[in-house]
Formats: sequence, C-alpha cells, structure tokens
Amino acid sequence: MSPMVGSGGIDFHTHPVLVREMVERHPELERAAREVFHIGNVFQPLETFLLELDVAGLERAVLLPIDCTTTRGMPIYTNEQVAELCALSDRFIGFASVDPHDPKHVEALERAVGDLGLRGLKLAPGLQGFRPDDRALYPLYAKAQDLGIPILFHAGMTWEPGVRVGAGHPLAFEEVAREFPALRIVLAHLAWPWVLEAVALALKYPNIFLDTSALYLDNPRDFLAFAMAQQVPLTVWERSLRHQLVFGSNYPRVEIKNMAAAVRALGLSPGCLDLVFRRNAARLLGLE
Amino acid sequence: MIIRLERVEIQTRADKDLVDLTSHMERVVAESGVREGVVYVMTAHTSSGILVTEGLECLERDVLAHLERLAPDQGAYWHNRYLDFDGRLGFNAGAHLKSILSGYFAYFPVSGGKVVRGSRQRVYFAEYDGPLARTVYIQVLGLG
Repeated sequence: MSPMVGSGGIDFHTHPVLVREMVERHPELERAAREVFHIGNVFQPLETFLLELDVAGLERAVLLPIDCTTTRGMPIYTNEQVAELCALSDRFIGFASVDPHDPKHVEALERAVGDLGLRGLKLAPGLQGFRPDDRALYPLYAKAQDLGIPILFHAGMTWEPGVRVGAGHPLAFEEVAREFPALRIVLAHLAWPWVLEAVALALKYPNIFLDTSALYLDNPRDFLAFAMAQQVPLTVWERSLRHQLVFGSNYPRVEIKNMAAAVRALGLSPGCLDLVFRRNAARLLGLE
Repeated sequence: MIIRLERVEIQTRADKDLVDLTSHMERVVAESGVREGVVYVMTAHTSSGILVTEGLECLERDVLAHLERLAPDQGAYWHNRYLDFDGRLGFNAGAHLKSILSGYFAYFPVSGGKVVRGSRQRVYFAEYDGPLARTVYIQVLGLG
C-alpha cells in the first residue's frame, strides 16, 4: 500500500461510470459508460472503488456526472443517481451537472445542491457543446457563486469523438474568473497541453484552481514529471500555486493508486503534498 | 463423462495480491461428481496469473517481489499509449508480462474424487494490477 499523506485525502476527480451496483439498478448507465463516456473496462463492484481509495491512501472521492442530454441524448449519471451512490458510502462527495441548453438549468442546480446535498458543479464545455465565456451561462455561474460551490470544468485536450481539442483551451475561462471573482473554478487535467497558460491563469486569478488528473502520454509517473516539472518548473507549484492545486485521478481512466503515486513522486515537499491531497480540496468543498 | 465449469469471482484487495484458490478448486471437484479425471484453474485476465507454490506468506512475498524484478511496473513499454477501445491509456505492460511469466492456468489430476497434489502445493490467483473483481474459471473433466 502507498504511504498515507496525512489522513483525509481526497480525490477531486472521479467518474462513477463502472460501479456495477448502479448499472444493475439503472441499466441505461451501461450505455452511458460505453457509448457516451467511451470506457471499455469491466464493470466493478462498489468495493473495488473503495479499495482503490484505500490502496492510494486516500479517504474520499468526488463523484462527477456530466449532463450532456442535449448533445448526446443522455446524461452520464443524473444528479439523483449521484446522490443515490453517495448514500451507499460516506466516502463519496457528489457533484451535480446541468445541461447548459436546458432553460431551467439554474433551477436544476439549486435543486441538486439544496435537495440532493451535492457539493459542486461539473461542466464539460466540449462534450456539452458550449463556450465557457458564453454570457448565457452567467446566471448559472452567479448561482454557483451564491451557493458557495466550486465549478469543476473539463479543460485541455479531450479524446471525445466529435469534440475539437481547442474547445478546452484554458484562456476561454479567463472572463469567467474575472467576472466572478468569488466563484472557485477548478480547471481539470492541468488543461494539458496548455499547462503554461493554465498556470498563468492561476497565478493571476486566485479563484482558479487546477487538478492533477492529466494523462495523455506514457504513464502517470512519466507524464506528470513532464507536464508538472518540465513544461513548467516544479517550483511554481511549491512556491506560487500550493494553495491552488488539488489531487485528481480521473478514475477509472486512470487508477487512483497510479496517479497518487505519480504526484507523490514529483518531489514536492510534505507540506505541499498535504495541501494538494487534502487541505485544498477540503477548503473548496467547505469541509474545513 | 462429466464436464463441469464454474465461474468464481475474486475481489482482490491490493495492487499486488496472491489469493489462495485451493479450497475453491477442491470444492468444485467434490461437487462435480468426478472420481477420475482432471481439473483446470484458469484466470480470465491478461494482467493476472495462476501459479502454484507453497502456502507461506514469506514465499508469497518473494514470488511477487521476484516477478517485479523481472517485469517491473515502471518501464519504457510500447504499451504506454492511448487505447481507443478502452478509452484510456494502457501503461500496465508490467502486469501483462508478469502474467506471462506466471502463466494463466494450472492443472491437477483428480483421483478417487479428490485433487491429487503435493502436500505443500497450493494454487493461487495472482493479482498484478489490483484491486479489482476478477474472474477465474475452474473446469473439472472426468468419469463419475
């Protein structure tokens, strides 16, 4: 087992698409996993997910749905299904997603937070077919800001068929960060390959956070060493962005154990690792 | 002629893990009704293995440590790339190579309705990329 980095570590970026018990209860989730999320791995019992956290030395995981009903005909988990899965284990922290093309998406977010107890909002501009700086989304951002919840955006490259790579360019989030200074924005996947641009945003805007869930070449250890210690100097995380980086694995596209080991191998100080694995996420989620 | 095939699901609990399947195998043989024949134990996964060794914790650790030396998880593998059919990168060539080294099945004779094996021999499911729920097939063939 990997050594623990303090207690209470959180994986800020997981997708519950392979949980077998949920597929048995909601058969449409099989199609969501195979045809919308495009994951080919075998469905696993819930216990495997929890053991993954154990092996990685982490306590809890953020579960991310994506409501792409308009663009793909169905969501990857509804908010109700996320809440249902969270009820099966207190180690899960559920996020909501809303369809940006649904005229009632603000109300949907209010319900998800107020009635279902979800603690953040996940949006994927490419898959959901919108521009982050489209002002039509500003009421949604304002609502998230009012509710005090973070928004985690897919950023950077995507393998998603039919979606342009450029749809995830991080500079598209600058206006949102500027217009909503109290809204906490997490850009996923280090916005790779635009890590330098994502770092520039985070350096300028204290409400921009990045998550580590990036893997596009080689293996987690070699890739993160490239993206986080060659594309930018490792010192930028330690000295400037230690309070704006959270651990994320992108499980099950990457095993939590492998991404956790890769982050721990970067050479960050124990204090910085504690922020990345635990304290920054806890602060974003209002758990402190 | 009796042919019985049983699927067994095993929940492994660690990245590397050895799970003793001997009692599973003996139960399937006993329930099959085969008196004289053979039993095979096979993993359905290419990042796991089936191996036979003595049932000692020290040996279990030595086996896994030696396989790690022969086929380390970290390496400059061709498999470290995006696999579109899986929607993710591979990067577990070390587990696949360990699987080849340990093999994917074991065979034992059955005589008098019991598995014929050495007193120290135990049959193990070997996990090289866990934790995962894994499938093992146990097949008994013979005369009742």
